[in-house]
Amino acid sequence: MIFFLQYVMRKAFQNIRGNLFANLTTIGIIAISILIFSAFTLISFNLASFLKIWEDKIGVIAYLKKGTSLKEMEGLLKNTRQIEGVEGVKYISPFDAVAFLESKLGNQKNLLQGIQPGILPPSFEIQLKKDYRNSTKIKEVVSRLKQFPQFEEIQYGQEWVETFSALVHIVRLTQWILGCLFLVAIIFITSNILQLTISSRQEEIEIMHLVGSRPAFIRVPFYMEGLIQGLLGGGLAIFFLYLLYKGFFLYIPPSIQVWLVRVPILFLPHWTILGILIGGMFLGFFGSFVASMRFLSE
Amino acid sequence: MIQMSHVYKTYPSQISALYDMTLEISPGEFVFIAGPNGSGKTTLLQILFGAEKPSSGEVIVNGMNITEKGFNKIYALRRTMGIVFQDFKLLRDRTVSENIFFALEVTGCSRKEAKNKVSEILSRVGLQEREKDSVFTLSAGEQQRVAIARALINDPPLLLADEPTGDLDAQMAIDVMGIFTHLHLKGTTVVFATHDIDLIQRYSYRVISISGGKRVDSQKDEEVKTGE
Repeated sequence: MIFFLQYVMRKAFQNIRGNLFANLTTIGIIAISILIFSAFTLISFNLASFLKIWEDKIGVIAYLKKGTSLKEMEGLLKNTRQIEGVEGVKYISPFDAVAFLESKLGNQKNLLQGIQPGILPPSFEIQLKKDYRNSTKIKEVVSRLKQFPQFEEIQYGQEWVETFSALVHIVRLTQWILGCLFLVAIIFITSNILQLTISSRQEEIEIMHLVGSRPAFIRVPFYMEGLIQGLLGGGLAIFFLYLLYKGFFLYIPPSIQVWLVRVPILFLPHWTILGILIGGMFLGFFGSFVASMRFLSE
Repeated sequence: MIQMSHVYKTYPSQISALYDMTLEISPGEFVFIAGPNGSGKTTLLQILFGAEKPSSGEVIVNGMNITEKGFNKIYALRRTMGIVFQDFKLLRDRTVSENIFFALEVTGCSRKEAKNKVSEILSRVGLQEREKDSVFTLSAGEQQRVAIARALINDPPLLLADEPTGDLDAQMAIDVMGIFTHLHLKGTTVVFATHDIDLIQRYSYRVISISGGKRVDSQKDEEVKTGE
């Protein structure tokens, strides 16, 4: 077995050296295709993590109708706390609301002079359980809240959540559509270039058949060649993606950099990188498999 | 060693290459397959080494029924035989020893074992002095000897040769025939396809003549076996 593996590795590298230009072309094309796919993966990953951060802070504000009695409020507070997905409810009186506004306005709080606290409605600030901080689950809580007639209006940043979720979906969809297209392209290109390699070594292959070489001795070095091409292509793609990622930070203005402290732009996690490398190897292997199916049978 | 009974070979273009071919070759025999170009000699040999499948009939080579349904161990069949061609089929960008080494390596021989075996095999065909030379610097006769050396890597009991002297001048042909004769004397079965009547007449080996894909020699296999 060890002898066979040594033989396969030696032959695969001999094949690559023997057809260096064709192999470098294949590796380059695989690298470009995987780079584009990985770039979309990176964008989608960061949008998703941004969405996650935003969803973690998500909450619901339910404004009460004017004239709601204290007794009704107590009952409502109790009922709201019992809704599935609600972690906690905080009552915000009109005075609390004015104080909050003043703190937000800072030096410009004099703008609020003359405004009576009574003008602002009392409200419930509802915190949701972790599993409910997403656009689907939040709607379930809101629809339960809407059943209480004492609530005048319920706000939860619905448009933001939905628009952002849609954006993430579009990027993910683009990523997978491109992924599928590149998958076909990589298999097509790898198999065609390997066919050229195989036909340039037809004499050798014929002799291998004649002297009684086992099929594995003929085919497996070509599979290994495809695997190596895929691995190198994937590795190069990840390397260039990392350079682009680092380069991105060099060319963004400081004002945005301050904002990025709160919403960090991350590089792909290790498991995704490993997945991309394995995916590249698989594509290279499959390309060589297709080529060998057509050209290595006697 | 070889049994062929009622073998027909018709190509998809409806060209009939072999017609009701029946023959038997015993272990240790030297047999000429004689016939003009296009008579079916090459097709017959190709069937024997599994490069072509007969349209019908039964073929048993070295105990393997290669016409049996599901037979797919062509590589195993070829390890029991050596094959030599008119055009040598050598890797012209490599040296004599590299050509032999390559064949040993791809049949699973370790590098160390293969290196030891190369000199031994080359000495059997008288080429040990030229092992480092590139194949293209050799004469046609020497190239054919390299091809024979390569055919011997598995110490086969059977050697198939398809017009091996076809591209050689008379003296080179005699030299190469000398190697085949030595191998035969050592017990190797040799099946030698040729259209060279002069060459056949120099030796007293059995001749199977074919023409138009049919066997046309009068001496039947049974007669050969009983010495009639």
